[in-house]
Amino acid sequence: MSALDELRQLRRGGAQVRSRDNRAAFWFLAPWFAGLVFITIGPVLASFGLGFTKYNLIQPPRFIGLDNFARILTDERLHNALGVTFTYVLVSVPLQLACALGVALLLDKGLRGLAFYRSAFYLPSLLGSSVAIAVLWTQVFGTEGLVNRVLGLFGVEGRGWISDPDTALSTLIVLNVWTFGSPMIIFLAGLRQIPVVYYEAAAIDGASRWARFRRITLPLLSPILFFNLVLQIIHAFQSFTQAFVVSGGTGGPSDSTMFYTLYLYQQGFSRFDMGYASALAWFLLLIIAAFTAINFWAARYWVFYDD
Amino acid sequence: MSRGVRRGTAWAVLLSLTASLLAACGSGSEAGGDLTTEQVTLRFTWWGGDDRHKRTQQVIELFQKKHPNITIKGEFKEWNGYWDSLATTMAANDAPDIIQMDELYIGSYAERGALLDLNEAGKHLDTANFDEKALATGTIGGKRYGLPVGLAMYSIIANLDLLEKYGVPVPDDTKWSWDDLKTIGDQVSKASGGTVFGVQSPGINDAAGLGIRARQQGEAMFDADAKVVLPQEIAREYWQYILDLSKSGATAPPSVTIEKASAGLNQSATATGTAAFGLWWNTQLTALTAASGARLKLMRLPGETQGKAPGAYYKPSMFWSVSARSKYPAEAAAFVSFLANDEESAKILLTERGVPANQKIRELIAGQLKETDKAAKEYLDTVPVSDPPRVTPNGASTLDTILKRHTEDVLFGRSTPDEAAASYIKEVQSEVDAAR
Repeated sequence: MSALDELRQLRRGGAQVRSRDNRAAFWFLAPWFAGLVFITIGPVLASFGLGFTKYNLIQPPRFIGLDNFARILTDERLHNALGVTFTYVLVSVPLQLACALGVALLLDKGLRGLAFYRSAFYLPSLLGSSVAIAVLWTQVFGTEGLVNRVLGLFGVEGRGWISDPDTALSTLIVLNVWTFGSPMIIFLAGLRQIPVVYYEAAAIDGASRWARFRRITLPLLSPILFFNLVLQIIHAFQSFTQAFVVSGGTGGPSDSTMFYTLYLYQQGFSRFDMGYASALAWFLLLIIAAFTAINFWAARYWVFYDD
Repeated sequence: MSRGVRRGTAWAVLLSLTASLLAACGSGSEAGGDLTTEQVTLRFTWWGGDDRHKRTQQVIELFQKKHPNITIKGEFKEWNGYWDSLATTMAANDAPDIIQMDELYIGSYAERGALLDLNEAGKHLDTANFDEKALATGTIGGKRYGLPVGLAMYSIIANLDLLEKYGVPVPDDTKWSWDDLKTIGDQVSKASGGTVFGVQSPGINDAAGLGIRARQQGEAMFDADAKVVLPQEIAREYWQYILDLSKSGATAPPSVTIEKASAGLNQSATATGTAAFGLWWNTQLTALTAASGARLKLMRLPGETQGKAPGAYYKPSMFWSVSARSKYPAEAAAFVSFLANDEESAKILLTERGVPANQKIRELIAGQLKETDKAAKEYLDTVPVSDPPRVTPNGASTLDTILKRHTEDVLFGRSTPDEAAASYIKEVQSEVDAAR
């Protein structure tokens, strides 16, 4: 059959086959679609409505206008939670990306056993937000944990890293930095895209290693860096499990690990104030949107697109 | 393979999905109706330690033998995760049928309509052997939202092995003061050289220590209208005392104290033999003895004779409640009745959930109690008490976590006892107000 015949046949019978295929596809998609509507979009819209009500989870919600949003402005514990969350995001994300980029540069050199190292470094990313790792963390950083044992070998007196409000947040930051695997994989892919000829040309011109990194790698990798930055910031704002498990759900000691999401959860499920919790959820959306917008605006000044 | 077959398969999958969804919404029973003969599954949730889980599981098996068509699925947790989980399942309309309820939360769940009025299922629930006063503790606004399980009292549990080891004499608890506890605690800490501490810090896991101090001075946390009436001076003294214990080394360093607090009974300082004195329920003596393997002794609270009134009181250790949304309220009530009245089940549970509130059962098991259980019963029978405080009002269920945060602030020097006292009273009041 020639190509022309094939095309003709497709035109004749194709439409019918296609519509039948589409219908079948729709039915197979239906469970997913139902899930999207009922489990995701529905509750999202409902939470918007609930933000304007007082709702204790069991009795019907009562409309109270903008009270919940007004409370956001005066709630001191919330402001503390915002401080904790901002600190977490602004410290852990740059550190995490720096680690990811550093390791990616090392691995890009074409080490022997690259696949093994790549997997080994990626593993924490898969486990990072799991309950098991958070539990492990409380053991490692506990008063009788691994960290204190190692410090003890050097004669340094340890402390309860997680149960001391001065250091509790730092342990969570370390945990987040440790899960640098997924941005690292993306960096690795980005590094492979940079044509080797640039480096060769630069080397012939006598450019130092740092100059090559600074003038070639960074600019050409900037779109990838931007992508990782946006994603990891959003991800960090939504962190919940680690703080929940490590503090036993309290955000303690002294509210030092009180992430925004954990505070929101407590409002809904410990204080039974789902209206305020819903308002907080939408406020978080605004915060993340603002950060993302700033990111995109700033990107014009530092992200370089090659093409 | 033709398209028709494939499409047929798709329909079959869809149909079976729908069928399984429909099957999940079977019919239920009525609270006052007869027990069903169909095969049903009830979910039963409780908090507690290992000892409780084992005993409760045995009682479940007993019940299932007598009612082969009823399966009871036990869901048990530590106290810390229990209430989060209950709130979540309640919100999802997926609450367990039978719920072990606490005094701290019964007001808040009952007033939001989440609990069944057990009178509706009175046909299946035998309360003949309960004292009216005891029954009243689970009654709010004339409705019976919880059946009291047992009675318990606050006590100091002392580790005799540790006291002996460090040559510290056992204090006379009939007239000791809070200062005495601190002095003895300091002695133990000093003698051990830092491996064992005198006192397991109070004020971390619950507001009991504060409540006791208020009661000893003739005051209370709340008045009848759920207004916070705790004098600020009492709260200030309370946090000053905890701070003094920490500064003198009678308790472990703050970070160790806080780490232990979130780990549950089996990891507590008393259970691990790292503190000589701890504030506990008298009925926890058996579980703590099992966990620590040490000789433990129940002692009266300090300060009981120096103040205006005893701080000790009979507290319903917990309640059995049934979810208002249970599909099988009659069967759930029948199971609660079994837990509260069955003699065989009583012989398994003994006093692990408190000295039974059911008087007939209390007499029945008296002869079979282990030494530690006997001690708990004797403590309850002999120690002077005053009238119990009012039920924790709706909205104040978080008062323990608020207290814990304030204690942390004080221990780590983030606020003074004075500031903590003022802030605590203000915050608890605003929680109660917000729930209205």
